[in-house]
Amino acid sequence: MKTYSLYFFLFAAALFAFTGCDDDDDISPVLEGGTFEVEFENVFGPQDNQRSFSLSDVGSTDYGFTNSMGQDYNITFLRYYISEVVLEGPDGERFEDPMSVSATGAEGYYLISADDPSSMTFDLENVPAGRYNKISFLLGVDSTGVQEGAAGGSLDPATSGMFWSWNAGYVAFKIEGQSAASAGGASGNTIENTNDKGIVFHLGGWKDIDGTAFRNNNQRVTLEFDTNASVGAGLEPTAHLELDVDAVFNGPETTIDFANSNVNVHRPVDGADMAVNAAAAFRYDHIHQ
Amino acid sequence: MRPLVFALCFMLFAGCQPGETQSDTSFTFVQPEHFPPATYDFERNPVTEAGFKLGKRLFEDVRLSSDNSVSCSTCHQQAVAFSDPQHRLSLGVEERVGTRNAPGLFNLAFTSEFMLDGGITHLDFVPINAITSEVEMDETLENVVAKLRANAGYREAFQDAFGEDTITSGLMLQALSQYQNMLVSDRSKYDDVVTGRNDAAFSAAELRGEAFFKNNCASCHAGVLFTDQSYRNNGLAGDGAQDAGRSLISEVGTDIGKFRVPSLRNVSRTAPYMHDGRFETLDEVLLHYRDGVVSSSTLDPGLEGGIAMTSDEMADVIAFLETLTDWEFVQDPRF
Repeated sequence: MKTYSLYFFLFAAALFAFTGCDDDDDISPVLEGGTFEVEFENVFGPQDNQRSFSLSDVGSTDYGFTNSMGQDYNITFLRYYISEVVLEGPDGERFEDPMSVSATGAEGYYLISADDPSSMTFDLENVPAGRYNKISFLLGVDSTGVQEGAAGGSLDPATSGMFWSWNAGYVAFKIEGQSAASAGGASGNTIENTNDKGIVFHLGGWKDIDGTAFRNNNQRVTLEFDTNASVGAGLEPTAHLELDVDAVFNGPETTIDFANSNVNVHRPVDGADMAVNAAAAFRYDHIHQ
Repeated sequence: MRPLVFALCFMLFAGCQPGETQSDTSFTFVQPEHFPPATYDFERNPVTEAGFKLGKRLFEDVRLSSDNSVSCSTCHQQAVAFSDPQHRLSLGVEERVGTRNAPGLFNLAFTSEFMLDGGITHLDFVPINAITSEVEMDETLENVVAKLRANAGYREAFQDAFGEDTITSGLMLQALSQYQNMLVSDRSKYDDVVTGRNDAAFSAAELRGEAFFKNNCASCHAGVLFTDQSYRNNGLAGDGAQDAGRSLISEVGTDIGKFRVPSLRNVSRTAPYMHDGRFETLDEVLLHYRDGVVSSSTLDPGLEGGIAMTSDEMADVIAFLETLTDWEFVQDPRF
């Protein structure tokens, strides 16, 4: 036992010495970082002619929006995941938002919920001082995040409303509402299949398997700023980004016809085109310096 | 030098799991030497005695269902290797009839895709499916967490297991995984024979059955886990029309009627058989493979025309399959 104690002491001492070294290396760069705020706003319409966006009540026949096909609609639910955020600058600056998952938390995964104003902004911390003119992010949660297993925070399936149990994984983007043109029958977080005007689009799927129909519908979005956002002493910029809700239904890959298209989308293969639309519906608006 | 290395390793190990004592050994996951490496990430969620016991309590708790009537153990019973012997199609809340027979649960730590259609790729997420399915527990995770938070006993048990003064769905799922990961079935007569334990030896009939099995069954029921973990259509009549199986997940027609090849460990305990429990005995199962295989575009090519076997060969195969019964597992007092 004495021998063990001696070795344990030596081992503990060595471990302590090691840990000490690590700490010394890490301390200084962390202190230099600043905060970069990212703010999302859901809007309706193109940048030069946009209207404010708000959610409608389930059952409401007050259709505030009209799509490109002249069909009236409203939106009752809108949530999406943003992850793997990267900032880049003209002088080679690069910041990758750290990511980690535990049973009680999730760092670097942001759930933007139209029904929760506090979710529309998040802070990137410890961003190195410098100039940044580009942001990119993943719309969704990739395989790494899924394969971490049980997760908390923004990924908590008990509170997020964004987890598929049958084809397990996180849904990248959900949008639900009602359209005067819809024949109903869709079901989702806010829409029941008895709702005769429901429209439900759940865009998920996180893995590609060669030779199969498995779809990874997570999309990488890159947005360039028209000015440099500076991080440094006393400089904490905000990038104001927008999602044009109407462009989700009318984008580069597909135009959704609420009367004739599938308006109850759940399978990854059914949501593939709209996922590309959704990614293309994000845009840069301005920087608050 | 050896003892020194050993001592240091031991210290290192002990250091990684602070607060554990020697008596916890029986609540630690042990990798069987003759098994493939575990696929579960135990560094993220190591098994502890408190976590295991909390997981068992959750597994047996009807609070997980909407009307507090159904627990995991309702359809996964230890005496039959955590399968459901009572109903061809397992029943959920309000006696709602499910679409499949609940399979046995064991050796999950070595499995990377779960459910008969492989729709779940992490053990932690498996209970979410059962809890939220309308024909199983028909409850929300949010409500389950609320029920657990309202219970002082659970608050204490979570504190003991995870050292955090909170109950979240993530911690609940990790506790359930700790319990399920410990359900290792590696103590059957077959295991004794292949590892040379207990001077075990196959009888003449078991040996003949093993030889037949290796030639005719082991290409799918492969290796020491008795499954190659692939998805195959084994030619059940009417299949695909009622349960599309793997194609529900993969969304391709070539997967219609395919299901995960089940492990055959404990198979003599896990009747009824097939995804929908259509066969009550192993005799019926073998008769299906001999006479009942229905051809279709997705039928496994190896089963075209069935598997020819005599009555004696069938009896031998069943004798061999019975050596896969792990009596210590189904009676283990920890579970």
